[in-house]
Amino acid sequence: MNLPVISVRNLHMRYGHNEVLKGIDMEVESGGIIGYIGPNGAGKSTTIKILTGIINDFEGDATVLGMDIRRDALEVKKRIGYIPENAAVYEVLTPMEFLGFVGRLHGIPRTAVESKSHDLLSLFGLAEKADHRMNSFSKGMKQKVLLISGLLHNPDIIFLDEPLSGLDANAVILVKEILGQLKKAGKTIFYSSHLMDVVEKISDRIILIHHGAIIADGTFDTLKEQAHTGSLENVFTQLTGSGEQESRAGAFVDVMKN
Amino acid sequence: MEKLLLHILRLMKPLLGIGGSDFDQMMVIVETKLLMDKRRVYMNWRNSQQKEGRNQMSRVLLFYFVIGILMGSSLYVLDNFLTVMVFMHAYFLFMMAMTLITDFSSVLLDTTDNLIIFSRPVSSKAVFMARMVHILIYLLQFTIAIGAGGWIFAFLKYGMVSGFVFLSTSILTVLLAVFLTYFLYLGIFRFSNEQRVKDIVTYFQIGMTIFFTLGFQLFPRMINMVDIRHAVEFRGWAFVLPPVWMSLTNEAFLNRNFDSLHVWMICISVIVPLLSFRILNRFLAPLFVRKLSILQNDRSSLIGRTDKGLGEEQSHGSISTGSRSTISSLFSSLVCKGFVEGASFETTWMMTSRDKGFRMQFYPGLAYILMFFLVFVLKGKGDIMANWHDLPGTQNFLWLIYLPMMTISSGITLISFNEHFNASWIFHSSPLSSPGSIIAGAAKSIFFKYFIPVYMIMCALCLFIWGTEVVDDLVFGFFCNGLCYTFFVNVSDHYLPFSRQPNVRQQSGRFAKAMIQLMVVSLLVGVHYLLIGRSILLLALAPVMAIIMLYFIHRIQTLPWSAIKI
Repeated sequence: MNLPVISVRNLHMRYGHNEVLKGIDMEVESGGIIGYIGPNGAGKSTTIKILTGIINDFEGDATVLGMDIRRDALEVKKRIGYIPENAAVYEVLTPMEFLGFVGRLHGIPRTAVESKSHDLLSLFGLAEKADHRMNSFSKGMKQKVLLISGLLHNPDIIFLDEPLSGLDANAVILVKEILGQLKKAGKTIFYSSHLMDVVEKISDRIILIHHGAIIADGTFDTLKEQAHTGSLENVFTQLTGSGEQESRAGAFVDVMKN
Repeated sequence: MEKLLLHILRLMKPLLGIGGSDFDQMMVIVETKLLMDKRRVYMNWRNSQQKEGRNQMSRVLLFYFVIGILMGSSLYVLDNFLTVMVFMHAYFLFMMAMTLITDFSSVLLDTTDNLIIFSRPVSSKAVFMARMVHILIYLLQFTIAIGAGGWIFAFLKYGMVSGFVFLSTSILTVLLAVFLTYFLYLGIFRFSNEQRVKDIVTYFQIGMTIFFTLGFQLFPRMINMVDIRHAVEFRGWAFVLPPVWMSLTNEAFLNRNFDSLHVWMICISVIVPLLSFRILNRFLAPLFVRKLSILQNDRSSLIGRTDKGLGEEQSHGSISTGSRSTISSLFSSLVCKGFVEGASFETTWMMTSRDKGFRMQFYPGLAYILMFFLVFVLKGKGDIMANWHDLPGTQNFLWLIYLPMMTISSGITLISFNEHFNASWIFHSSPLSSPGSIIAGAAKSIFFKYFIPVYMIMCALCLFIWGTEVVDDLVFGFFCNGLCYTFFVNVSDHYLPFSRQPNVRQQSGRFAKAMIQLMVVSLLVGVHYLLIGRSILLLALAPVMAIIMLYFIHRIQTLPWSAIKI
């Protein structure tokens, strides 16, 4: 019997007057890949920022690895990895410098970080770029560096915010493969995306979020069965890109012809 | 440099009240931040060719230090202590605030920290201390660079006590500058989204560049023009200004004069900065962080609504179209021939307002008009007022008529540069028979957007000074300018607008072209000079100029693809 590694109850979050999360409840057990899926602006990133202890002015309860994220943020952060979206890195640094910085924040000695970073960069095909500043990097290259920065300290739970955006096809396969291997090693992977087809193959469980609330939860197949009921249908088709999109595409071509 | 600073920090460990792993983490963050400071591109230094490896920061510091020595020498040379002190403190306050706004803004407004550092097991104390120490180091470096020159001369001429007092009031001024900067930013946040904030910062940067360009040219002249030896007298409103408090404090200690006015000033000089710093720490800084996170969230929701990432620029742009686009479309329908030229006209109009690279390079040039005006029109001996009164008797209006073109024509070249030069594929993939209409549209856009308003101002100024008898000169001058402009467009290398990578090495042959341009302008100005006072001839020649101008425009419009450089 696995204990829940993530447990969230009645989670609310607002920026100013804008309520981003409207009561999220979920429990995630150890091991496996969880796809956290929703359209842009649904509240995916905010949830992840709360679970990783970046935002703490939320309402409700959230525990990660059995610890209250507000009270024991430091302990939680030691055992989780976070890969932010939009390739947020210090671009004036080189990958080695950046990874060295992150590694030392985790208390890993400099030499250990260096050899580890170097090996991981080589595996991603970035060995030659290891000492170039990242402001000349493509989004995919920065994303690779970020992936490494989130995994350097061998975390138990890995939070990824849109990790595949901007990666080339080969890198996407590599990342998916890495996620599969991490799962085998007993890690929990919590993974956000606005595209269903990216995650359906590798996710053990999919949580659909829309307008700050969870609207469906289960395996891809259960979700597909449920998809014809109520509000879910709309969101589901939007995310899988079938159904309604077809008529939109038709309309698009019609307008174009005029 | 930063090795030394880090070493000093390590020595100060017991004083910081932070120990163990927190301290180590703080050091790691500070070390990285200092490394990043060194590599940051300093906005006011963009034009100079840069290599990656150079330490930007130390160059800026050195530059400030040299200027500081020049400023400080006035303390030594001039005997009016109080005046010079006001001047020095005002300079200090201005420089500190400007540096903070233009260069340090990237640090203050940076929210990448939240994602990169807060997701790591770093205590909030370590992060807070790291930020604090980083800002203090930054302030310390710039305080020394800006102030050292003045302090040296103060110590040399007025002795230890005055030196130390000046040092202290300088530091108090820095505190005020920090407070003002935060205050200003909070004001900006109130009304705007993140894009606007960056825009406003850009205008401050332009202002800073103008200040330096003008300052270099005008400052030495001003020393002669303004009689600085007379004592300043403070009345009423002057006591609101911090430099006045500070300099009166300095004077009090210099002359051992502690009457009630001076004691008051000493109290205010000490209390106000300290109090404002306390307010900053207690209220403004937390508020600042909160506003920033809301601003950040606004941005992500804005992106969320359009296509992720790609839509960013667009969605912000769509907010601020407004009246500008209607003006440009009105003009384009009046002066452009065909769809393509009109489209190029309107796009150039919009891009020149929004593209930072263009604004940073073009707008300071406009300040040169003002500078040349002051230098040429008001040159001569004696004071400014006398020169001003003598103006109607001179023929200096020729300067006013022909100065604007010299700087505005630089827009022809500048318009071809853009950070997103890759997007110029659009011109090449479009079925255009004559790319000339694109160049003509862009050139017309600059002419109407920048030259016409500036020329109108010049006309108003001329009419104000010389009266209606220069109307014929203004009419003739207008067509002459138009002729020059279209001639420049014809002889310059033809690049499509926004199609070149910025900072690439300039082609050779520019000097020769500049000489030709200068000769043509001199020739036209010469002709104009000879014709001054002969209204009939001036008015008769104006249409001739207009016809040549139209011919030049036609030549641009019909440029073939083979004439376009890539």
